[in-house]
Amino acid sequence: MTREQRLELLRLMLLQRQFEDRVLALYRQGRIAGSVYTGRGQEAVAAAAGLALGPDDVVCPLNRELACHFAKGVTVEEAFRNFLGRADGPTRGRDGNMHFGVPARGVFPLVSMLGNLVPVTVGAALAFKRRGEPRVALTFLGEGAFSVGDTHEGLNLAGVWQVPAVFVLQSNGYSYSTPAARQMVNTNLAERITGGWSIPAERVDGTDALATFAACRAAIERARSGGGPQAVEALTLRIHGHAAHDDARYVPAELRAAYADRDPVARLEERLRLDGVGSEELGALRERVRTTVEQGLLEAEASPAPDPAELEDGVWAAPLEKPDRAL
Amino acid sequence: MRVGRKLRATVEITYLEAVTAALRDALREDERVFLLGEDIGVFGGAFGATKGLLEEFGPERVLDTPISEEGFVGAAVGAAWMGERPVVELQFADFATCALDQLLTVAAKTHWRSGLPLPLVVRMPSGGGVRGGPFHAASPEGLFAGQPGLKVVCPATVEDAYGLTRSAIDDPDPVLVFEHKALYRRLRGPLPPPSLRTPLGRARLAREGADATVVAYGACVWTALEAVERLGADVEVLDLRTVWPFDAEAILRSLTKTSRLLVLQEAARSTGAAGLVLSLVARLGFESLDAPPALHAPPDTPVPFAPELEDAYLPSVESTAAELERLLAY
Ligand SMILES: Cc1ncc(C[n+]2csc(CCOP(=O)(O)OP(=O)(O)O)c2C)c(N)n1
Ligand SMILES: [Mg+2]
Repeated sequence: MTREQRLELLRLMLLQRQFEDRVLALYRQGRIAGSVYTGRGQEAVAAAAGLALGPDDVVCPLNRELACHFAKGVTVEEAFRNFLGRADGPTRGRDGNMHFGVPARGVFPLVSMLGNLVPVTVGAALAFKRRGEPRVALTFLGEGAFSVGDTHEGLNLAGVWQVPAVFVLQSNGYSYSTPAARQMVNTNLAERITGGWSIPAERVDGTDALATFAACRAAIERARSGGGPQAVEALTLRIHGHAAHDDARYVPAELRAAYADRDPVARLEERLRLDGVGSEELGALRERVRTTVEQGLLEAEASPAPDPAELEDGVWAAPLEKPDRAL
Repeated sequence: MRVGRKLRATVEITYLEAVTAALRDALREDERVFLLGEDIGVFGGAFGATKGLLEEFGPERVLDTPISEEGFVGAAVGAAWMGERPVVELQFADFATCALDQLLTVAAKTHWRSGLPLPLVVRMPSGGGVRGGPFHAASPEGLFAGQPGLKVVCPATVEDAYGLTRSAIDDPDPVLVFEHKALYRRLRGPLPPPSLRTPLGRARLAREGADATVVAYGACVWTALEAVERLGADVEVLDLRTVWPFDAEAILRSLTKTSRLLVLQEAARSTGAAGLVLSLVARLGFESLDAPPALHAPPDTPVPFAPELEDAYLPSVESTAAELERLLAY
């Protein structure tokens, strides 16, 4: 990994961190409606997987992977417009928070129902295989999503069809308030994926951005070069509650105490310092990210609110020969 | 069937063969089209709709799947996202419930949320009369009719089995095609030209009349026609063809002429398309009516198995004729 790539990885992680901090502040000020989810503690996984994808690869991110959107070229303004429900945002105010995607950048709009996007990812990879294109489709999953039937059907199809799909598992220990051990008997997801579906799965420390990048890139390139579906299980932390309303008091104190040492952003900065990146350069990067976030917010706030008169546009992809509004 | 252009129109085919022909022509004309479903390859599908297609197009385009309705409908969504034109076969329409989340949550809502079109087709044999019982004879189109973002078609003729299937494959939205099992081998007609398309959202006047209108779809269109014939009545029969979004204008236009309405369907009375049609007529057709709109449909139970039960359950020519007589006498 080049120095530039490492700095880009950090930039993406900082972008998610600072964006989400900004969003949380806006939420608490009542300037964002609905709910807000963050990926604090998991930025390395989102950024590493996103950065390891090629420009023609596609992805179905979930709740905690904003850095992956940014890696695929989704802009901060676009993301803010979705959180703010603006007319020119990716969902035109029809969906909120991180429930969006930008198809033109290869990002499928997030579907809330966990597991649904696993077969969708497999289908995109099937299209690549059918056409002989050297492209990869990737999605993320948490432990909760791993309990859903769609996930199992999708993994099975990926194996049977040997398609270039990559599954990145975010093992953050919790599904909302439910610890992983109450979600499943064997919490070693890599073992289950390898043993159950014969899909190679590597386990990696998801707070170590460089190791996570290496694992994701290797998996993606194996899939791209005809190695069939691949998985990476990243062991991470969910430093915040499930969403902004959840103070996560159910997380035991010992686990909370570990957060400070395993913050992926701090860890990567420390590593870059060892590599000879000066504090000044790191500070300048942080500042650049801060400016990007603030400018993006300003632009998004200047965007128009959606018009209720347009609500029924786009139910159908193309107008019927004889559209009927009388119904 | 490989036949020349001129000969084509003289070839008689069944409704089932019309489905096969539509799939074959779509596969020939557009390499983005591929089929996926259970046992559709070597076996040719549970009802034979894909017979011969594996041989002609190979396993890359006629893809046998594991038993995972949610999985392969989801995979069709993903392939459609990438610009392919997947056509899924569900072994029976009853199994649409196994794929509900992919259909209602993912396929139906994606374009409205993101502007991404998902051109996928899900075909499925539906309907009773073949002693299928509660799990193999359902008419579950009502689960999907009224859902924003999903189109639902129910071909009643050989021509529409071809034309609606082709239009569904061409269409940029997810389209569910409910083929009727009882029509598969019962109907015969000329092999349509490859250019034939039945426009979505348009009803067909199956029979003109002045004294009442029967709104029906699928096999019930034939039940209605026979019942009218038996009575010797001057009754109009409207074949909805597209159950959602349906041709409201055609229904209202017919009612201004006939002033009497019978909705006939094979789905249990509180499901299907009846509620939507009756709601439309109550709101926008009230002034045209000379009689309360009638509904002839099975009771609100699953489809029963025993011949005595199923025959009593499904609308028959006799029971439909009786219903029509009551309506005409009002
Ligand atoms: C099928 C389904 N059921 C319930 C929910 C509500 N829900 C959203 S996220 C979540 C917890 C998910 O846990 P996990 O998969 O471990 O992901 P994490 O939140 O830890 O990133 C729940 C219950 C959902 N989105 N989908
Ligand atoms: Mg989790």
